[in-house]
Amino acid sequence: MNKRQARLFAIGSTVIATLAFLGLTIDSHRQFPKLTNAQNITPAVTHGKDVWHKYNCINCHTLFGEGAYYAPDLTKIAQHRGAEYLKAYMKDPSKFYDEQRHRRLMPKQDLTDVEIADLVSFLDWVSKVDNQGWPPRPILVTGAGVGPMGVLQAAAGSAPPPGAPPAGADKSPIALGEVVFREAMPACAACHSLLPGAQMAGPSLAGVATRAQETVGSADYTGDAKDAAAYLRESIVQPSAHMITGAMYSASGVSFMPATYGKDLTPDKIDHLVAYLMTFK
Amino acid sequence: MRYRSQSVAYWYFAVAMVLFGLQLVFGLLSAAKYLGPDPLLYILPFDVTKVIHTNLLIVWVLTGFMGATYWMVPDESRTELYSVKLAYLQLVLWTLMGVTAVVGYLFRYGTGNKLLEQPLPHKIVIVICMLLFLFNIGMTIWKSKRFTTTEGVLVLGLGLAAVLYLPALLEYENYTVAIFYRWWTIHLWVEGVWEMIQGGFLAYLLIRLSGADREVMEKWLYVIVGLVFIAGILGTAHHYYWVGVPAYWLPIGGIFSALEPVALVGMAIYAYSAMRRSGMSHPNTLALHWTLGSAVFTLFGAGLLGLAHTFPDVNKWTHGTLITAMHGHAAFYGAYAMITLAMISFAMPSMTPGRSEQGSSIGYWSFWLQLGGMFGMTLSFATAGIGQVYLERILGMGYLDAQLKIQVHFVMLVVTGSIFAIGVGLFIYDFFRYAPRFEVDDGQTAGPRPATKPVVTAAHA
Ligand code: HEM
Ligand code: HEM
Ligand SMILES: [Fe+2]
Repeated sequence: MNKRQARLFAIGSTVIATLAFLGLTIDSHRQFPKLTNAQNITPAVTHGKDVWHKYNCINCHTLFGEGAYYAPDLTKIAQHRGAEYLKAYMKDPSKFYDEQRHRRLMPKQDLTDVEIADLVSFLDWVSKVDNQGWPPRPILVTGAGVGPMGVLQAAAGSAPPPGAPPAGADKSPIALGEVVFREAMPACAACHSLLPGAQMAGPSLAGVATRAQETVGSADYTGDAKDAAAYLRESIVQPSAHMITGAMYSASGVSFMPATYGKDLTPDKIDHLVAYLMTFK
Repeated sequence: MRYRSQSVAYWYFAVAMVLFGLQLVFGLLSAAKYLGPDPLLYILPFDVTKVIHTNLLIVWVLTGFMGATYWMVPDESRTELYSVKLAYLQLVLWTLMGVTAVVGYLFRYGTGNKLLEQPLPHKIVIVICMLLFLFNIGMTIWKSKRFTTTEGVLVLGLGLAAVLYLPALLEYENYTVAIFYRWWTIHLWVEGVWEMIQGGFLAYLLIRLSGADREVMEKWLYVIVGLVFIAGILGTAHHYYWVGVPAYWLPIGGIFSALEPVALVGMAIYAYSAMRRSGMSHPNTLALHWTLGSAVFTLFGAGLLGLAHTFPDVNKWTHGTLITAMHGHAAFYGAYAMITLAMISFAMPSMTPGRSEQGSSIGYWSFWLQLGGMFGMTLSFATAGIGQVYLERILGMGYLDAQLKIQVHFVMLVVTGSIFAIGVGLFIYDFFRYAPRFEVDDGQTAGPRPATKPVVTAAHA
């Protein structure tokens, strides 16, 4: 090969690759609207995106796995946490996490209510983009996971470090409820996932607040509750009062869920748990 | 130094050195925050230190590229620069842009778009500077009527880099579309046109340092450029895996990005065999260390560690973890920091008299400390990243709890990062140790050898 041929090779391969790339780009544009649900990009979503940029969120977090690695990925956060939870969190993260325990804390951002609401709309839009099913397993913010590290270890590992401020005093009830959800004995999270459709020993609690509302209002409801929150409380304290049918979860009118929470958990903790579950709308 | 106007390169290098030092301050601060708790949470939080760290990187490397180009083009085209004034004007404008951008980031004034955080006014100044620069270089070559392949590859790379920055000036309504075009800038820079720039510098250095034949070197340079673009352009798809684009990008990304290391293997062989076959013909062995080091470390950081997570089946687990930071550091350092340091090491002896041609022992200490430190940092990010992938992505442990389990790797990162920073400190010290004096040398003392035809001046002994 001489220099002229080498030059032809360089130019030719560049031109071919460029043409192929441009062709695929045009085709991608054809598909973007469907894959990203472009019709759902409302002004609120667009404004939420601007808020995401304005506060430099991407230089701690990742979205679609892109950004920085100092804070958790948020691609599917809107499916893991209810809107109310996210709103409360964004008002003041320190009410949810303890810097002494995790050694990291998100600084409070002084967002307005509108900014927060739009940010949540944006994250909700993000979570619904068709992105080849990534992540292959849910990326959670806290919790000890399943497998060898086991759920039970979660409780053991969560004792506050010496010198940590007494838990709870300044935390939001929703945040405290999330802790109860993980750390009650036995842990709610051991049987209930918060992901839509992910049934474990118990049904998924994604959207449970909405369902509670529907159940209470329906004609065949057999319990005593008058509203969704009361219904959730009842389900925690007396799991068998009203059951969602399914041989997987109950037999002869008795739920498989332990009926011990009513006496093992303090009333406060039950309140927190209800507040937390009420965010899953 | 053979042309008076080459002295502008010194001032570009000086600015690059200062910004390089600052970059590391912010890198170490960021790493310390991994360990937490963070006493600066409300003064200088992580997002601020990180954005400054990465932006200073881009600015200093580009400053180095420009300085090195102002050094190399007169040599290649055998002429003075078209306009020294313009070159200084450009440097002042560029430095002001860089400094005000960093000050702005302290107050979160930026676009909040990874690596493209420069606010719009700054982006426009960047474009103006690039135009001034390309105009100045273009006119120099035009007027000299002498145009070598080596500088052609370099200048085309720089020109295309400017063109590929343009999509970053636009706003996109759809976040997925914004991601799509962000990679036209970032990926096609580092795995496309910047590799042309690196290749141009590499060829120049090898031709000057070894006795290699220019015709042969330039022929293989074309081959390398061809290999870069065959794989690199469609290889952009390795950033399109999980972001909401059509699924056909998955196999395309897997296949073409896996071919990208071929060009990097080519580059390493290119450098090695040039030295092997033709031997040294220039006293500057320190510049040779940096030159070969760059070719080899690129192969490691970009080629091997890039390949390690470029297949969709691997990337689906590692995407967005510290594994990416492992690769980003080793690749950027090997390819673009080291080649810039090579050009600086090559040019310095003729601009700062008193310096030894072979490089001082401080220079060698700096080389090995940086290399060792960066290797250690790469290992720290790698071990932390593997831990993160296993605990968080595979076992499903929560992000915050998994990070607590990999603290020891962050300690390692701070330690190895400090070793690296000492190496860089020595380089900067060595740079400023001798005052610059710009004397045109007509080939009597050791200096860059004339290019192909030894007509213009006699070669040094
Ligand atoms: C003292 C040495 C250094 C330390 C301690 C350090 C530390 C860090 C840290 C903590 C991050 C943030 C990662 C994250 O998003 O969580 C980062 C990002 C980055 N640094 Fe450094 N750094 C150092 C030197 C360098 C050098 C010399 C280069 C390049 C030549 C470099 C290039 C980068 C790049 C490209 C990123 C973005 C990586 C990504 O997002 O994947 N750093 N660095
Ligand atoms: C000198 C050349 C290279 C440099 C400077 C470089 C630098 C980087 C940087 C800074 C990132 C992080 C970007 C971001 O998230 O914003 C990245 C990501 C990536 N690089 Fe490279 N790279 C180079 C070559 C390569 C090569 C040759 C390959 C493949 C063989 C490769 C594969 C990847 C992959 C797969 C990612 C995405 C990681 C993820 O999933 O987040 N890189 N690179
Ligand atoms: Fe890439």
